[in-house]
Amino acid sequence: MKALVEPALLGFSSGLVCLASCGPVLLPALAAAGAGWRDTGLLLGAFLAGRLAGYLGFATLAWAAGLALPLPAPMNGAVFAVVHLGLAAALVLFAVLPRAPRAAPCSQAPATARRAALARRLGVVGPAAMGLLSGLNLCPPFIAADVRVAEGRSLPGALGFFLLFFVGTAIWFLPFLGVAGLRRFAAVRTVAVLTAIVVAAVYGYLGAVALTGVLLHG
Amino acid sequence: MAELVSTATAPPGAGRRPVWTSLLLTLPVLLWAMLMFSRSLLVPGAAPKIAALIVLAFMVSLFFLMVFTRATYRWRRLFFVSLGLLFPIGFIWDLLALRGSMTIPFDSVLTGDVPFCFLAIPMTIVPAALTSTIIFPGSILATPSNPHAIVPMIVLWLVATIVLGKGWCAYGCFFGGIEEGVAALPRTARIKTVDRRWRWAPWGVLAAVVLLSAATFSPTYCAWLCPFKAVTEFSEVNSLRTAAQAGIFSSLFIGLVLVLPFLTKLRTQCTILCPFGAFQSLFNKLSVFEVRIDRGKCTDCATCRRACPTLSLDAGSAAQGRAMMSCMKCGACVDACTKGAVVWHIKGTSISASPETARLLYLYPAWGFATMFGGSIIASSLEKMVHLVV
Repeated sequence: MKALVEPALLGFSSGLVCLASCGPVLLPALAAAGAGWRDTGLLLGAFLAGRLAGYLGFATLAWAAGLALPLPAPMNGAVFAVVHLGLAAALVLFAVLPRAPRAAPCSQAPATARRAALARRLGVVGPAAMGLLSGLNLCPPFIAADVRVAEGRSLPGALGFFLLFFVGTAIWFLPFLGVAGLRRFAAVRTVAVLTAIVVAAVYGYLGAVALTGVLLHG
Repeated sequence: MAELVSTATAPPGAGRRPVWTSLLLTLPVLLWAMLMFSRSLLVPGAAPKIAALIVLAFMVSLFFLMVFTRATYRWRRLFFVSLGLLFPIGFIWDLLALRGSMTIPFDSVLTGDVPFCFLAIPMTIVPAALTSTIIFPGSILATPSNPHAIVPMIVLWLVATIVLGKGWCAYGCFFGGIEEGVAALPRTARIKTVDRRWRWAPWGVLAAVVLLSAATFSPTYCAWLCPFKAVTEFSEVNSLRTAAQAGIFSSLFIGLVLVLPFLTKLRTQCTILCPFGAFQSLFNKLSVFEVRIDRGKCTDCATCRRACPTLSLDAGSAAQGRAMMSCMKCGACVDACTKGAVVWHIKGTSISASPETARLLYLYPAWGFATMFGGSIIASSLEKMVHLVV
């Protein structure tokens, strides 16, 4: 029983932190999509699936290498840089470019159609990529979970631990479904795109600085 | 396209109010101003008295002119631009006197020895109520060791915001006075068409700032996006981070507060960036005062839309007979309308029922607030300047 409750409670207790750290990316992306309840649920599900993949990937690494986080400083910096640059790129590709409001004269109709097609293809790939990158956030509860895993569990045990940890955190994301209720307001999509631009700029800057630090100082 | 119509004219057909009536209507403002500046008039020294008398005469005269001419915008703008010019002078003066520099050492930031900014007022309320913690240097109530209580500022902001709505941005925000002054310099706009979708940008900034602040546990707007650090205080530039911050706020100030207002005759920082303004827009729903358009008189000439400094009127909102929630009730559209269709209005009353009465009922609290808040800032700055000669 403890083996089931402990990871779930650890995840639930840290879910608010997960919400805060994922919010800048997830909320603008969902709002910019302007999807209905079902599609919003699909996008949120794709994001959470990506997060779960990130969690399980780290669980496998932690078990296989017997690693206990935090990682050495250069690796931490490299992970931080990759995550933030990736999130910035994903936001721009998924939330901004396909949905940037723009007049489309007849001569530009093919470009508009290309953007719409891009939006459809990125429909789940974008949120899943954002979820994967967000799932690599080395927050203290995540590190605590990794320490438990690194204490010699079997691989199924490690994966199960992080799966339950993930379920505990994922409960906090259910209210994001409410974004679907705002889809009838065109202004919400405009604001969401603008929010995504600001967040992408900030994350891009943070990632670039972190990467520069890693390259210069090792 | 017709140029921006001068906002100096009174609504059509109204004529000027009789002088004695105007003086009588100005009397409450005179009494209020005397109450506000009575302390300065009683302290020793000539400088505080001279400054107080100048500001008292200034504020009362402007209100008299607003009543006498039945116009609002250009007289309000005179006060507002004065506030925008004099606030930085007094603020920087104090910084130089206390620190010898506009920069703040990081140690001072860590210990909270920093000036208070009104933009942070709304954000202090929830943590103060839930955790008895002030997220800005100060105490909830004044103590002998810390006389800077935050409760008076919260109360002032709350009352002004509930009554005036986004009128705070037209009567209280000294930062906006800078832009408004720059926008008033050219006779005509060099950039005449601005995409009205930009008016949603402050909401995007607000959402991004809230989300990023929660994610990073840092004051994202204050650290990275506030353009007014250029005329107040900023962190010492001694690292890549602080250099980047300085570059960003300087660029935002030059672009949104100086260059674009000059080119467009709009308050572009308020329209495109300010998240505090976006937050204040929500309170327009609470305020009983608003700007409405009498569709019976409106001829869709778009004069009001061109006059608005914050893109708060478009064809859609005009068709609905109202300004958008970003309206800061500056009076530009009302004064510009040549048909008397754009009017001041009190919610729950008929649009045609005495808009002049609605205007006066709005102006009394607005000007009372302006006298108390902005007037005291102007007086403080003037006192420092008067000290140089007296």
